[in-house]
Amino acid sequence: MTRAEIHETLTGVFRDVFDNPSLNISDTTTAKDIEEWDSIVHVTLIVAVEKKFGVSFTTRDVRRLENVGDFIQLISSRLN
Amino acid sequence: MLKNDRSELNYSALLKAARRLVPAPGQSVRVALLSDASTQHIVPLLKALFAGNGFNAEIYEAGYDAIQLEAYNPDSGLYAFQPQIVVILQSIMKAKEKFYGFAGDRGDFARANADKIEGVWKALASRTQAFIIQSTLVIPYERPFGNFGRKLTEDVSGAVSELNREICLRAREYPGVFINDIDYLAGWVGRRHFLDEKLWALAKSLCALEFLPDVAQNIVDIALACLGRAVKCVVLDLDNTLWGGVVGDDGLEGIGLGDIDEGGAFRSFQLYLRDLSRRGIILCVCSKNNEAIARRVFQEHPAMVLKEEHIAVFVANWEDKATNIRRIREKLNIGFDSMVFLDDNPFERNLVRQLIPEIIVPELPEDPALYVRAVSELNLFEAASHSAVDAQRNALYREQEMREAESKAFASIDEYLQSLGTVAILERFEPRNLSRIAQLIQRSNQFNLTTRRYSEPECEAIMRNESDFFPFTITLQDRFGAYGLINVVILRWDRPSRTCEIDTFLMSCRVLQRGVEQFAMNKIMEFARREGCERVVGHYIPTAKNIMVREFFAQFGFVPLSSGNGPGTEWRISVDDYMPCKVFVKEQSLSLELTPAGEAR
Repeated sequence: MTRAEIHETLTGVFRDVFDNPSLNISDTTTAKDIEEWDSIVHVTLIVAVEKKFGVSFTTRDVRRLENVGDFIQLISSRLN
Repeated sequence: MLKNDRSELNYSALLKAARRLVPAPGQSVRVALLSDASTQHIVPLLKALFAGNGFNAEIYEAGYDAIQLEAYNPDSGLYAFQPQIVVILQSIMKAKEKFYGFAGDRGDFARANADKIEGVWKALASRTQAFIIQSTLVIPYERPFGNFGRKLTEDVSGAVSELNREICLRAREYPGVFINDIDYLAGWVGRRHFLDEKLWALAKSLCALEFLPDVAQNIVDIALACLGRAVKCVVLDLDNTLWGGVVGDDGLEGIGLGDIDEGGAFRSFQLYLRDLSRRGIILCVCSKNNEAIARRVFQEHPAMVLKEEHIAVFVANWEDKATNIRRIREKLNIGFDSMVFLDDNPFERNLVRQLIPEIIVPELPEDPALYVRAVSELNLFEAASHSAVDAQRNALYREQEMREAESKAFASIDEYLQSLGTVAILERFEPRNLSRIAQLIQRSNQFNLTTRRYSEPECEAIMRNESDFFPFTITLQDRFGAYGLINVVILRWDRPSRTCEIDTFLMSCRVLQRGVEQFAMNKIMEFARREGCERVVGHYIPTAKNIMVREFFAQFGFVPLSSGNGPGTEWRISVDDYMPCKVFVKEQSLSLELTPAGEAR
């Protein structure tokens, strides 16, 4: 999966979780940029991403995530 | 309960449904969550699932790990919230910490922790009348001794199973405490899928998010049963539902029913159904069949588990099933939403769903070997109480069928009532009747003037309050059989105004038109007069189901007040104006005192 493909699929997951079909994300998007992205939704998001990509993150992985770019990097490393 | 299948329990779909919830007209229910896991993720699920059952749920979340803090503090937010239901959710991750840090002998772990839990119940029960829904703990998978640990008290998984058992045993002594068996749910989906240590580490989540809807559904099921919503009747198809093949074509000998293959599968299903009947679920038959041929299977087939005596209403003809189910409903006098229809044929299932949307029609798999599983998975038969009457319920309805057949032979209804030789026992609330009283209070919807759902502990409190209340029951029997305890009345004395208030008047619909209500009203007036009251006041509080008693008080000469106190319509009558009703019920002499036995006034 290319970075662009991951970005596209991840955008789909974000739109689904935040229930917002026009949501766009970039590498620098953080929880501060999306109003509903609190710690509760964060867990939902992690689980949804794991399911969508068929990967599993470690607890440490999840704690280290700072922005969407980290997210894409992490998915990519776990896919390979 | 689920209406079709488990696909209704989808985490993200429920989350979306919760987001789109708008306050709709409907009953509201106040639910408090006390947990040593985080509760944020389950709240939207509960809201969505309650809404799907017509309830607006208001939810109070206590702080993380504040179960005892909230329960023991009389000024806590919990009590200010005035919950109707208190849900206690306990995580195995937390319990393991307690186990590993337990200072005493590990053999005492289960008892010591059950003591703490029971302490919380007691504290709650002393300050609120709410139903308490207590979770079990998921049995963990670490086994430091391997299988050998099952023989030891040292072992964490053994200690947790013992704690679960201890919780359930103690709950037997608390009618207001209900068990939310999370370990059962975890076992069903597999504990290794259910538990999610990572989500515990990240967010103190009780389990994998995927299965949180199962936990929420279980809570809703129990809450609905407490609030009086329960399945009362299962309507069964025959061919390919109770046996393999079509009896009309294949003949009595040709149908598949016995020990092996498909025949064994149908037999297992029948054993399950017979157990439902024992537990008080009414079984009825609705089949496209020749009645005589269909009945012959019940009478003569050696492998039949279900007999005619298990079937309250037997309908076999060639009319459409929706029409026949409507007929069954009329005979039983229950709501469609308390009926389940089981049929192997997708056409019939869809037809009934289309024509009777309220009825529950589970999907049945093609293979009869999976019927029990498919029906069990929906948890349709949640109960809030259990009494001896449950096992006899089918017989009660069968006797009713016989009475009706005979009533056609009489010229007048009075003559018929006279012939029944009905005998009533009227008595003040008795400890031995409390579970049945609470059950009737929870289940009666139609012949219920105020629909006040008192729990068993509340009934007990009313029973003990001799200065303010005179709560009584009527138990009925006629020459066809016993009806059991079918009428509950709670009178409240307002002495300063010399008024007797009918706080609760409800009756099982099995005994309509038997003259029980006339008998009861005569007695109410008698008691009121004896107690020195000048007037009797009653309320009619309308619900979606009790329209049949809207004019109840009018028939006795009560006068409605345009602006009464409290909810609903207030009706009044002066004791002197009451004209006693003609009754055909004979009272069995049981020395009845207004004061409890042994306390002469």
